[in-house]
Amino acid sequence: MISKHLLLKVLDKALSNGADFADIFVESTYNSLINYNDNKTKQNIVGRDQGAGVRVFYGQSAIYAYTNDLSEKALIAAAAAVSQAARGKSDGKVINLTVRKNFDRHPVAIPSDTVSRRDKIDFIKQINDSSRNYSDLISQVDITLIEKIQKVLIVNSEGLLTEDMRNYARVNVISIASRGTEKQTGWEGPGGLAGYEFFKSLDPAALGRNTASRAVTMLQADYAPGGKMPVIIDNGFGGVIFHEACGHSLETTSVAKGASIFAGKMGEQIASPLVTAIDDGTIPNAWGSENIDDEGLPTRKTVLIENGILKSYMVDRMGSVKTGYETTGSGRKQSYKFAPASRMRNTYIAAGKSKLEDLIASTELGIYAKKMGGGSVMPGTGNFNFAVSEAYLIKKGKIQEPVRGVTLIGNGGDILKKISMIADNLALSQGMCGSVSGSVPANVGQPAIKVDEITIGGRK
Amino acid sequence: MYEKEFQFIFNYASSKADDIEILLSSNKSFSVKIHNQEIESFNYADAKGIGVRVIKDDKVGYAYTEEFNEKTLRVIVDQAVENSSFSEDADKIEFSSYPDIPRRPRVYSRKLDAVDVASKIDFTKKVERIAREADKRIINVPFATFGDGRSFIKIANSRGLHKEDRQNYAYAVVGVLAAEKDDKRAGFDFIISRNFSDFDPHKLAVKSVEKAIGLLGGREIASGGYPIIFNNEMMATMLATFSSIFSAQSVQEGKSLLKGRLNKIIASNKVTIIDDALHKKGFSTRSFDSEGYPSQKTVLIDKGKLIGYLHNTITARKDRVSSTGNAARDYKGILSVSPTNFFLKPGNVTSNELYSRHARLIEIVSLQGMHAGANTISGDFSLSAEGFLYEQGERKDSLKQFTVSGNILQMLKDVEDIADDFIFDTSACGSASVLIKKLAVSSR
Repeated sequence: MISKHLLLKVLDKALSNGADFADIFVESTYNSLINYNDNKTKQNIVGRDQGAGVRVFYGQSAIYAYTNDLSEKALIAAAAAVSQAARGKSDGKVINLTVRKNFDRHPVAIPSDTVSRRDKIDFIKQINDSSRNYSDLISQVDITLIEKIQKVLIVNSEGLLTEDMRNYARVNVISIASRGTEKQTGWEGPGGLAGYEFFKSLDPAALGRNTASRAVTMLQADYAPGGKMPVIIDNGFGGVIFHEACGHSLETTSVAKGASIFAGKMGEQIASPLVTAIDDGTIPNAWGSENIDDEGLPTRKTVLIENGILKSYMVDRMGSVKTGYETTGSGRKQSYKFAPASRMRNTYIAAGKSKLEDLIASTELGIYAKKMGGGSVMPGTGNFNFAVSEAYLIKKGKIQEPVRGVTLIGNGGDILKKISMIADNLALSQGMCGSVSGSVPANVGQPAIKVDEITIGGRK
Repeated sequence: MYEKEFQFIFNYASSKADDIEILLSSNKSFSVKIHNQEIESFNYADAKGIGVRVIKDDKVGYAYTEEFNEKTLRVIVDQAVENSSFSEDADKIEFSSYPDIPRRPRVYSRKLDAVDVASKIDFTKKVERIAREADKRIINVPFATFGDGRSFIKIANSRGLHKEDRQNYAYAVVGVLAAEKDDKRAGFDFIISRNFSDFDPHKLAVKSVEKAIGLLGGREIASGGYPIIFNNEMMATMLATFSSIFSAQSVQEGKSLLKGRLNKIIASNKVTIIDDALHKKGFSTRSFDSEGYPSQKTVLIDKGKLIGYLHNTITARKDRVSSTGNAARDYKGILSVSPTNFFLKPGNVTSNELYSRHARLIEIVSLQGMHAGANTISGDFSLSAEGFLYEQGERKDSLKQFTVSGNILQMLKDVEDIADDFIFDTSACGSASVLIKKLAVSSR
């Protein structure tokens, strides 16, 4: 995309005012989106994003400038802007750039841009038909096929030059069930760091049926009771609870500022001894995986918590400067429009030994959160809230009627200690994680867990 | 600006498509973030893109690029034409040369562009220092940020439309963390303005500190139904969350609760909801929308009665009404409908009166989890909240985190009164404080 000679020139310009470190991130991305709803192809758009970001560090300050004009003039101007802000004392100069090739852990069989729109729309229609055939209560189905091929090139003042290509494929399915003025939704959104073969591996009929069945079930549900209760959170997307309530507080972005409940707790017991939690960017073709992070470092498998003991944070370059911990290949960002920050990849609680049935059987009165919705956490306080999109009451150790409108609220530090049982049914589920460096693909995951007490926001 | 690119696309498309619309936007922005009196980050941004929308055989297709050479400009026209062949949308689309409004609102300040970087850093450092030193219970100032930017938009179509506009803006936000015993609370505040003299570091810092400190030492309250006041900021947040139900596009797609409710009473007679793209104090003020259609003021709910939806020209043609100038699209996206300055008309009681209406009520001053706990399709919400218990109009206790649950339509029916303390929040939604007869609160 840009000559080695020009990259060197831009790095030198960026360092010219005494910065400690400089890097350049160049991106060229194919984006494709097809949205189908109301039984029609409503959106069908492709496009190309391109741009570059120049970053420098001096001391603990990071300066970032981006442009989507890749001419020499624009790149030098971006480098000049960052160097002017860097009043450092280093006298670095980059002698040469050495290419580092990365082993491709995530091979792509059918690149997204080689498949016809017709095939993609046909795939979508199968999902749509299956959902609508499930029940007359299904009033609308909204399906979005999102594909992206992101080519990145990263160079830095340590002489590194490396590249990666990331092909993403995901389908989001929302089925809406209606009766009178009431509406309920069922959602699934499988995705992978893979080409079109990912869609071929899915069962479109099952996607339609499952989302429809959830919407219909919830339409027939009554409102949930409120108050404090034990909650069993099932596998897969249930991991969003760990992601939001604990994962974000283990990123050096919040740890370095002392704005995390887990700051200064390395080596301490922060969770129930049952809990081992991992953040792994190496899982082949997984949604949150990559070969290298957006700072050019090879991705890794990082054990965050082992048997309840805090073992590692997720560390990006600036996080490493600030905290002294070694980088974990966790510097990620949405696009050239963002400076990288420490972010999660595929984050999950490891499988335990219990069976889901045992978790249910041990609960006198509680909530079975079969499918979680989204949630958020207040940084600094660790307070979180999550919606449950499919929930049931548990009475006397048995799953009873479905309940709707359930929200779980609590505190991340607290909940980790209240996990009393972990099942053996680990599964991962896909999401988009939003934070300071934009929205990035991330897997959440867990086996079913039992939390002894969470506040339920209900309406009864 | 960009005449050459536009002309090139028009020329190339003339033999490929029946009609074409070209949308260009370009944004330059700056931000600085201070932590512990040091610059934590410093960002410069400069980006632009072109999106085309073509009509071919009555079907529409889109494509975009951020790369502006002749090859890619040709590619996007070809791709848009190809994409149009898969369109199954029967909605009729026409481009037209829409008139301009008589007098354009002022959305650009030369003076703001002239503010130097040193003054911006200085302001942000002051905010951070004042917030940190304001009270010994402030344990951290996780962010103190100043940012500003300029945007340029140009839209033209093969029916003779050609409009351009430029805007600039500046904002500051600060977040603080306060702790006492085992209770930790956050406080945020912001300024948005085109006038740098509005950026008073003292006022901004102190307001966010007061918000956090005020909430410390909360107690739990029994779960149950309570009269609820959403303060002005939180009511604006609720409106922002549910504004999509007023989109004619959502209505036509069967995704809105307001389908089939036109000209019916759907809210308390205290409720008047307006979208006004020409509002002098709004943050979404503009002269024309993303189709180049002139901006206007649109009343959606008039004293409880639903009298209209928000439209672009496509949804309007389908409903046989006029567009309300609410077309939304960036160069990467397709045309949709979205609100501009969207607000609940203030009432005429003072907030003191409002808080005295019930012997006991809960005021909500902070809400989290809007994207997860609020379902815009069903209207149901169950949100994590912070706030205060009021008795006989007096603030009694801060409350520990609780949830507030209900349904937006029921809530609009249950509006008992609206105060006169109107504000616009960061999302360009506006409201005064609002008293709701009853909502469910869960705590212990």
